[in-house]
Amino acid sequence: MTEAAVGFYRRMKDLPSTHLLGTGTAMCAGCGGLEALHEIYDIIGDKSIFVNAAGCMTLLSVYPFTPFRGSWLYTAMASAPAGAQGVRDALDILKAKKQITDDEDMQVVVLTGDGSAYGMGLSATSGAMERDLDFLYICYDNEGYGNTGQQYSGATPHAAKTSTSKGARGFAGFKKDLFSIWAAHQPAYVATVIGAEPLDLAKKIEKARSLKGPRMIIALSPCPTGWDYDPKETVNIGKLAVKTGVWPLKEYINGKVVHTKIPRQRQPLEDYLKCQGRYKHLFEPQRNEVMLNQLQQKIDQYWDNING
Amino acid sequence: MTRMLLTGNAAAAWAARLAVADYIPAFPITPQTEIIESLANWIDNGEMDARLVTLESEHSMITAAGAAAATGIRVYSATSSQGLLYAMEMLYTVAGWRAPFVLTNVSRGLSSPITLESDHNDIVAARDCGFLQIHCSSCQEVLDNTLMAFRLAEDARIRLPVIVNLDGFYLSFTREPVELPDADKCRQFVGQYDAQNMLFRASRPTSQAVAVLGGSPYSYFRYETHLAAQNGLSVYEDVATDFEQHFGRHYDVLEAYKTEDAEIVFVIMGSYSSKAKDAVNSLRDAGQKAGLLRPRLLRPFPAKHFQQALKDVKAVAVIDQNISTGMGGVLHTELSAALYGQTQAPQLIASYMGGLGGRDISSEEFFEMAKEVSNAVKKNQPLAPRLLYTETELRELRKLQAVAHVERQQLHNSRQQTKKGGAIK
Amino acid sequence: MYRIRLHGRGGQGMKTASRILGSALFLEGYEVQDAPRYGAERRGAPIFAYVRADKQPINERGIIASPDLIIVADDSLVPVAAAGVLAGVDADCVLLINSDDDKETWRQRLNFKGKIYTLPVETEDRAELRFIGATCSGAAACLLGIISRESLTQAIQTELSALGMAVINTNLTKALAAFDHMQTAAGCVSEGKAILATDYQSPDWVQLPFEEARTSAPAIHAAATSVNVNTGVWRTLRPVIDYQLCNKCWWICSTFCPDGAIDVDDNNTPQIDYQHCKGCMICVAQCPPHAISSVAEELAQANEKKAAKRKQGVRS
Repeated sequence: MTEAAVGFYRRMKDLPSTHLLGTGTAMCAGCGGLEALHEIYDIIGDKSIFVNAAGCMTLLSVYPFTPFRGSWLYTAMASAPAGAQGVRDALDILKAKKQITDDEDMQVVVLTGDGSAYGMGLSATSGAMERDLDFLYICYDNEGYGNTGQQYSGATPHAAKTSTSKGARGFAGFKKDLFSIWAAHQPAYVATVIGAEPLDLAKKIEKARSLKGPRMIIALSPCPTGWDYDPKETVNIGKLAVKTGVWPLKEYINGKVVHTKIPRQRQPLEDYLKCQGRYKHLFEPQRNEVMLNQLQQKIDQYWDNING
Repeated sequence: MTRMLLTGNAAAAWAARLAVADYIPAFPITPQTEIIESLANWIDNGEMDARLVTLESEHSMITAAGAAAATGIRVYSATSSQGLLYAMEMLYTVAGWRAPFVLTNVSRGLSSPITLESDHNDIVAARDCGFLQIHCSSCQEVLDNTLMAFRLAEDARIRLPVIVNLDGFYLSFTREPVELPDADKCRQFVGQYDAQNMLFRASRPTSQAVAVLGGSPYSYFRYETHLAAQNGLSVYEDVATDFEQHFGRHYDVLEAYKTEDAEIVFVIMGSYSSKAKDAVNSLRDAGQKAGLLRPRLLRPFPAKHFQQALKDVKAVAVIDQNISTGMGGVLHTELSAALYGQTQAPQLIASYMGGLGGRDISSEEFFEMAKEVSNAVKKNQPLAPRLLYTETELRELRKLQAVAHVERQQLHNSRQQTKKGGAIK
Repeated sequence: MYRIRLHGRGGQGMKTASRILGSALFLEGYEVQDAPRYGAERRGAPIFAYVRADKQPINERGIIASPDLIIVADDSLVPVAAAGVLAGVDADCVLLINSDDDKETWRQRLNFKGKIYTLPVETEDRAELRFIGATCSGAAACLLGIISRESLTQAIQTELSALGMAVINTNLTKALAAFDHMQTAAGCVSEGKAILATDYQSPDWVQLPFEEARTSAPAIHAAATSVNVNTGVWRTLRPVIDYQLCNKCWWICSTFCPDGAIDVDDNNTPQIDYQHCKGCMICVAQCPPHAISSVAEELAQANEKKAAKRKQGVRS
């Protein structure tokens, strides 16, 4: 896609109706991460190489099956951005030495879960941004170590029940602000997206694709298995995440953070929480008003700062 | 061809330059750093057409190295000790990718306690990862074998990464006369990089390093890697023949020194082996038929070469510059396994551990090992494994321990004195 | 084989000196090995380097236990046990020492059996010794007797090539002057022999006993044991406080001293701990009334000795 094409995605009808990412993967039915990925892949296109870190999506490619029409390299949990560095540098060297033509070049895309992005892989990600690596980073964030059975990670929200925070108060920590950590590196682009808002997602990926340098995307990925809800609710829950203000859709570019979809009348957070088993303990056997208030206040505070 | 004084580190850097490496992912660590500094300077001065990128860790460095090799370019990198271990996950990973590149390891003892000086525990820790391992005993060998390592790594019968090992300080910082081969000849010897089918191109969708489910495909892929590694022995011999034709120097998989009629043979890896050579000469002058075997390749392990070379030898003294804690010397264990059940195998395979953390092994100690081993053979007695360590050293250590431990007692005493109103000294 | 060990302080160019000798010997057709040896120590700390040269390929490696020639760039290192300057010397060993004291003084002081040559560095500031590496290598080249002036010159040009012509020329002048200065002793160093299997001292091997981790783990069960390390020997310049000028401020010198080697007593008077002062001179730079001056360590020590003698005289 050329730069002139930026701005193509104005209406839902502009979104592609046939999809690039192959079917037949091992992802759970109703996977919010896969939903986001296939939407993203449609826009990035098959002239791409995905460099993957350990996580749920390790199992996208299981020998001899791959859903990718472009290329793929599996690395390890901590160092996918370094893998992207190796591929990007190699392609640049091959071009500089005229051993390949420009049309053999590809977008280099890192694909990791939140376990890698928020934790073990953060040092490698920071290093890649510091080196101004020309790559796209996609984090599918399902707020826990999903592939091992949803233990809490640095991305787990306060109070959520995970298989390592099963107590009455759920997870005691707070979700790390990865968007700000990334933005503090002043990369070319940082954005939050969600599969349930495909037009917003398409616009952002289209923009990211047109830029050079580190382009960082966090896709909140509702997870029926880890969040404990019926798979059919993935899009509803995703939309609620936006409408309740839990997942602010925003982008960082040229030193500024812009919110791309500000919920004018935010739905109560409760609407988002009560449809997920991981928050059941906040409502049963009796409502935990104190905690629910705390959680709502935190959201309100965030948006007061934005709107204020 | 120019003969000049080069350190082992400079020899390694020269080899990467002469092999026309395209890409050098790097990370500084003592005593390897001079290698990447040299390469960086050459690139900055326009003397070398390559790209050097400093990653944020060795783990990332090896990831980038493997990924670049997987994209289809010639890659070189270097590390040492803690760095090699920090990268350990990726050593296994990229070898499994079947990504061919060359990595220099400058041997240094492992933490804890942390040290800067040389031994082989770092490199033997990496012996099962799938990298081939070449161990050098001189700066010339570092240069020549690094060039050869590119051929080995990229050979279709192997296609695995290769580690070239040199000892920290003893080679890394030591200058020796090194023949610097002609650049064109090197280019010709190493050849154009052939990516085979390992590349990423927009026109050729490829998924590399893909997961497997189930033990059967896993077993297949891993065992194929093992078979490829084993090809290393014969391919090394081919490459060595070609190297000799180009440059006149010959390298064997297993270096044998005066072993033909030897009754006692030292087995040792790395730079200390040249000290063993001196000892062999001196022992022979004294009428004792001594010899030396030094494996250049540790992976693949030259078992057949050892079996052949040690036929009719009465006793072997294996000197390990490493300890597998709870077992002993790694080379001793592996050699014993290789010789088990062989007819005409040595009567005694003695195990010595020495040179840990850069400790010297003196000529006297080589002589004494020969004496101890030949006495045991005469008396047909076994010989317990021994750490080369002297009473003098232990006395010195006790002094250090006094500072570290007894000081507390003194402190305690002085506190007591203060309480009683006495002065602190 | 010739075995040469060079002792100096970090920053005095012993590595370069060893490389100059190595290159010169290589030019003379010798097989050569040269290497610096350093650990965690920094500028000013004792370090050493070594050179081996032989007509045969060299198999020996690592530190030199019994040297044929010892070069000491800084005589203040001789009494420093940690520097190990005299380790492994015998009657065949030649000692080349940069010192204002003459060789007889050193012979008596050290009870040294071998030949001693001193190398007075007349024109140099003893605290700086910027060209001592070149000077030592020039003198050593002459003592070895197997290095020509031409090879020495070429070796210096090669080893210092990155430093530019001016620096090279100054070093050359120094090295050649030292070379000529030693002419009467030219070739006095002889090749040492290897230890033979027919005649060696058995190593006093010991079986390490098992000791519980409370003893055998690498831990220090005490506070601040580093005060046992006499880093004062790193110092080539000494800060000296003029208490007439000291205005007993809020101990600026003590606050800024990186090593905490300046204590202030109850009267706000600073005292420098010369056992540990490394001679960085931050105190000299920061003292508001400029009450601290920088004195060459050598000179300061000589003054101390004189003062002590006077004291003795008064007493007796």
